[in-house]
Amino acid sequence: MASTFAKRRRLAHRTREDSTDAGRAAHIELNAVTKRFVTPSGSAFTALRDVDLVIEPGKFCAVVGPTGCGKSTTLTMVAGLDRPSGGVVRVGGEPVDGITPGISFMFQVDALLPWKTVLSNVALGPVFRGVPKRVAQARARDWLRRVGLAGFEDHHPHQLSGGMRKRASLAAALINEPSILLMDEPFGALDVQTKAIMSNELLGLWEQTKPSVIFVTHDLEEAIALADQVVVMTAGPGTVKAVYDVDLPRPRGAVQEIRFEPRFVELLHQIWESLREEVEHAYSRSAAVAGPGEERS
Amino acid sequence: MSALPLDRDPEMGHGSAFGSYVALDEATIARDARRKVRQRRMLVWLARVAMLVLIVGGWQLLTSIKIVDPFFWGRPSGIVRQLNDWVRHGTAYGSIWLQIWITMKEAVLGFGVGVVTGIVAGVLLGQVRFLAEVFSPYIKVMNAIPRIVLGSLFTVALGLGVSSKVALASVLVFFVVFFNAFQGVREVDRNFVANARVLGASRLAVTRHVVLPSALTWIIASLHVAFGLAIIGAIVGEFLGAQKGLGLVIATAQNNFNPDGVFGAMFIIAILTLTAEGLIGLLERRLLSWRPRSQIEVGVV
Repeated sequence: MASTFAKRRRLAHRTREDSTDAGRAAHIELNAVTKRFVTPSGSAFTALRDVDLVIEPGKFCAVVGPTGCGKSTTLTMVAGLDRPSGGVVRVGGEPVDGITPGISFMFQVDALLPWKTVLSNVALGPVFRGVPKRVAQARARDWLRRVGLAGFEDHHPHQLSGGMRKRASLAAALINEPSILLMDEPFGALDVQTKAIMSNELLGLWEQTKPSVIFVTHDLEEAIALADQVVVMTAGPGTVKAVYDVDLPRPRGAVQEIRFEPRFVELLHQIWESLREEVEHAYSRSAAVAGPGEERS
Repeated sequence: MSALPLDRDPEMGHGSAFGSYVALDEATIARDARRKVRQRRMLVWLARVAMLVLIVGGWQLLTSIKIVDPFFWGRPSGIVRQLNDWVRHGTAYGSIWLQIWITMKEAVLGFGVGVVTGIVAGVLLGQVRFLAEVFSPYIKVMNAIPRIVLGSLFTVALGLGVSSKVALASVLVFFVVFFNAFQGVREVDRNFVANARVLGASRLAVTRHVVLPSALTWIIASLHVAFGLAIIGAIVGEFLGAQKGLGLVIATAQNNFNPDGVFGAMFIIAILTLTAEGLIGLLERRLLSWRPRSQIEVGVV
């Protein structure tokens, strides 16, 4: 009884917060965050250790690091999908407890529901928040137009190309006007040209509402081209190795062209130096595990 | 390993007969391919008809020359006579249509109850791990029991009317649907659920928009088997004790040493089941229309 009441109050609190915070960027703070997983055999595995990170409101933060350094885990904890084993994650000053309000998440594999049309997929965000269906669909239509998918409302996701599905995912993520946008290698599976187009698209849309962004990627050039700050993480257990400010002016314009700027190249060298050690470290470790077998064959 | 000339492709049919120098244009290739498909289809149908003639004709012949005793095994002409007699004069328990109606009513009701309870239980246990862990040994035991025997209990407890057959049919249907729904819920893409939760979906909304539609592929696959089981439940229930229905007609034919009657009723049941299968197929196509075409066709075949 009491718990239902508390839940209802929390919900009321959340909706109130949503209505005032919508579109306003939020401050993100990770304080000595550690995450351990227990494997089915019972042994513990530390994915993240003592991560300290602050992201100012409206900043675009890219996180790079070797495979398996806990980048994705960091995102799920900011989203509130998972809890830290130690330390605390704060969003807008409040410790994260349950799903963080005002957040949107773009996954590596797009999470469009295959049984719903593109329009219904994009309208899901408002529908889940209790917006009447007709209003939600009108907003979804508007967002589809903004990402260049007008005319594809009644298609199903499998009828779209990879790039178009990413556009739809982007519309679905932005329609709630999030104060935080979490992206987990969102363009990782795309070909190079489509990736560049999508990056430009993302920057254009982000500059309109300026939510705080955490963008996880393997691609250092992509990270520098998009972000205000690049976080380099160490090989697992992951922790923050260094944070670099990217002082390239905004609006950045085409990401393909910024790569030729001298300052871009300079930053790339500098950050790569730091990242390379970790990548090599992670690689030598995985090679030590897989190595003998590989050599024999 | 000698290299074949390109247009010696065996798939091309007659084109290659003219030698490797004949260049085929697109239209000819398309026409050729269409004709091949048509020919093949004809051949399959001819073989099917031939098989029917062979089986029915052979049966009739063997019973005519008394190699097979028609007293035990019936004969096609006798089955036709029996069906004709039922349609014209009815059975011992009223018209044949009434028997069909009763059996179908039992099967459809049992199917409905079994499907609904199976889906609810499967979705619930698939989502709440604690419940699944508590119930799993009992479900395993229930599944190991020959459930058809429950028919005896139901006949005693619920009487000779429709309800005992509905109970038996629904128990048979429940387990098939339940296991598929349970598995379907377990297989839901974690990303879909995480995404819906982040977008602000309540637990109920996640179930409705993500879990149920995702499990539907599994659930619908089970319905084909489930309807067959519902019919079996109804017929066996009538066997065990009833006042009307096709199962009773079969039991009576058995007691009267009338194999033609048994086969005749079997034939009617087969037609009913095939009709129901067709309807479920239509439902499947409608509910799963979002799937890419090829996938649907593979599913139907």
